[in-house]
This record gives sequence, C-alpha cells and structure tokens, in this order.
Amino acid sequence: MPQYFSVFKDESKLDINYVPPRLPHRGSQLNLLDQFFRFAIESPGKMTQRVLILGKIGTGKTVLSQHFGLNAMKEAEKRNINLNYVHVNCRECKGSLFMILQRTILKFYPHFPRRGYSAEELLQALMQILDEENAYLILALDELEALILSEGSDPLYNLTRIQEDRLKAPQRLSLICILRQPEHLEKVDPSTRSTLQRNVIHLKEYSKPQLEDILNDRVNPAFRQGTVSTQTMNLVAELAYSEGGNARYAIELLWRAGKYADASEMREVSPECVRKAAVSVYPVVRKDMISFLSPHEKLFLLGVARHFKQTDAAYMSMGEAEDAYAIVCEEYGEERRGHTQLWKYVKELSASGVIETKVSGEGQRGKTTLISLPRVPASDLEQELSRVLMKGGR
Amino acid sequence: MAIEEVFSSKGRVKILRILAEIGELNISAIARRAGLNYATTNQHLSVLENHGLIRHKRFGRIRIFRFDEENPRARMIKKLIEFWEQTNKPESNHE
Repeated sequence: MPQYFSVFKDESKLDINYVPPRLPHRGSQLNLLDQFFRFAIESPGKMTQRVLILGKIGTGKTVLSQHFGLNAMKEAEKRNINLNYVHVNCRECKGSLFMILQRTILKFYPHFPRRGYSAEELLQALMQILDEENAYLILALDELEALILSEGSDPLYNLTRIQEDRLKAPQRLSLICILRQPEHLEKVDPSTRSTLQRNVIHLKEYSKPQLEDILNDRVNPAFRQGTVSTQTMNLVAELAYSEGGNARYAIELLWRAGKYADASEMREVSPECVRKAAVSVYPVVRKDMISFLSPHEKLFLLGVARHFKQTDAAYMSMGEAEDAYAIVCEEYGEERRGHTQLWKYVKELSASGVIETKVSGEGQRGKTTLISLPRVPASDLEQELSRVLMKGGR
Repeated sequence: MAIEEVFSSKGRVKILRILAEIGELNISAIARRAGLNYATTNQHLSVLENHGLIRHKRFGRIRIFRFDEENPRARMIKKLIEFWEQTNKPESNHE
C-alpha cells in the first residue's frame, strides 16, 4: 500500500472544540474568572455568581470559559466538592431554554426523558437533581443572543431568580453568559440586566503578535515538526489580524492551509497554501456555523446563494428567496416549508450575520423583506453548502 | 415472597434486564424498550418495587426507575443478569 504523507500530526488540536492546556494572552481574564468563582471552591453553597463575558468573534470567549470550567472542576474534585461545569451553545439549542436545560440535565441523567414537560418543570428538576446529589453547577450559556432573540428575557429571569426562591437552601446554580453583541442585553428586562452586568469580562481583539503566539501553541501539537514555517505562521496571523483579530479564523485558516498542502502532496504548508485557504475560508461562513443550520435552513440559504450567483442585483425579495428555495427543495426531493417557517429562517440567518435584511422602502410596491449577502461570495457559499448537503449533512 | 413470583413473568425479566443494562430510565422509555404498553409496564414496576428490587426517583411528573442497590437481592439479580449478558454475547452476534 502506498504511504501517504500528511503534514498533520493530530488534526484534532485545531478543532473548534479543542481546549488547549494554556491560554496565551488571556491569563488576566482567567484570573478574574477564578476570583469571581473563588467562593464555589472555598465556601460552596453560600452564594452564586453571574458573570458576563463579552467580546467579538474569535476573541477567545468560549475557550476562556471552558478552560476555566475544566480547571474549576479539577480543583473542586481535589476538595471533594461536586462542582459541575456545563457549557451549552444557545444557538445549537435553537435559542430554546427547554433544550438548554435538557442538555444540562442529560449530563447528570443520560436517560432523562426527552419530552413531556415544560422548561419550568425542567428547571425545577435540575434544582432537585443538584440538591439530591449535593452538586453545584456553573452553567455557561454561549451565544446567549440566540436565547434572548427567541425567548426574550423570561428564561434569563427564571435562571437568575430560581435561587432567590430558595433562601434557606444551598445556592447551587451559577451562570456564565457569553455574548458577542452587548446590545442584545437591552432586550432583557432592567433587573435581570443589572444582575448580569455586575461582573463583566471584556475580551479585546487579539493583536498580530498575540495571534502568532496562539498559532505557535497549536502548530506544535497539530503539525509534524518542520512542516509549518515561521513565514507561513506570520502570514496566517497577518490575515487573521486583518479580520478583526479573530483567533478562530486564524486556526481554521491554518487547518485549511494544511489540507491544501496535503491535497497537493507537499511536505510543507507554504504561504501559497495559506493564500489558497484564505480565499476559501470566509470568517462568516465557518464550518461550525453551517453545521448548526437545520437541513431546511441550508436549503434556503443555498437558494439565496444561487439566486445571487445568477444576478447582479444586490438585494432579493422574500418572494424571490422563497421561489429559489422551492427549486432547491425539488432538486433535493424535500418537501418545502411554509412561509412562516422561512421567515423564521431569515431572522435567524440574519442574526447570525450570514445574510442581511432590510424592509423595502419607497419605489417598490407593497412591503417586503429584502435580503442581501454582503460578506460572502455567492459562489463560495453555494459550493460549501452543496458540499455539506451532498455529504448528507442535512 | 417466592422467587418464582418475580421471574415467572417475561415482562418483568425484560424490565430487569433493561434496567441492568441502562441504569436509570422512565416508564415510557422502559415500556418502549420492552415492547410492552404503559399500563403493563407500570404494573410490573409496582411489583418489582414492592419486592424491593427497584426504586424510583420523582421529578415533578416524571418517575425514573433503577435497581435498588441497597437491597442485596437486587444487587445479586443485577449481577446475574450482567453475567448472563456477558456470557451470551458470542451467540447474540448471530442474531
């Protein structure tokens, strides 16, 4: 059998879910988190905490929280405290408190029934489980925007107030809220907002040298020795810096460049591989973003991408988008969803930043939503979606 | 209580086997896995619980059942089932 050479030693070290043992340039924020939750290890049950982590895309919000969570659990275990850290992505849960709580409970009871009760009942069940197991929970709500957008401020209100009804009982549920756009907090009622805004950790975009340090940390475990030159790394850092200091983009770019090197059977990741990869990775169309989409969201977005590929127009109406979607559904043999569902998709896609929407104004009869695709070339989006749909990623 | 009372029912043995395998489960899930209806499952669970072999935890409307590990009989039955399943594996592969 022929031996294939790969520049990778361990690709998983570049995975989006990988939590590295060291977080370069986030030490002070990690310390701050430790300080906020010191009580959880020193005097568990006496109080709870709510912390808000703010920062743009790729500034290390998720990894900071996960890194802290893993350490906190280890530290608690040493002291025989049953402290649990559960990280839930609200967008993956479609912004539903029910799904968020269900995922949390499944960590404790993997066979907990999946339906037949309300979110409020689930929250009560969660508190009961924590009480019975004498456990403490730090629940990290990543991409909190999704929860606020779909259910308003009630879920956060309930999560922050559940402890207040239990004055004499031990305090067990703490929250870490991770948010990209702080303006979404304005939709939350003032009292909940004020409890959340007491402890805020703001993450700034990474500088170019900082991005280089981060890449350096990942190159060693992920790539074979000598396959990634300093020059290549500098170029990746440079590109990621111009994308707003986005470390996630940098890591994905490096991974893709590695893939290009493998595909061309090169023994080194050259700057040319990075340039090729840069054309194919758009910060908005991240792999994980597309994988979060539901099958019909993918089909709808594919319709939109195809429409823009064929025309020079900057906007398309909701009606045109629905027609394009209907054709795609026919092609994939799927039954089309109704208008209201598509309308929801448009709102969600717009919230995640893939498309932009505005309401038609003067000069057009009637009122419709106009959709645009400002950040991604339609052909690349189409290619990526077709690839995912072909792979059966529906 | 006579041992045949517990083991005379195929449904009860199935339920015990499922709980030995999965650990903790609610009634609907047990019923689905055992291929029994809800009412029958409920009755079997009551019998097993009355005999102290299993116990349940309640979360609002939800009841979750598992072996009563504090009862030596329950522990022994669970071990027997586990051993049975382990030594059964080569055959079950042909199924």
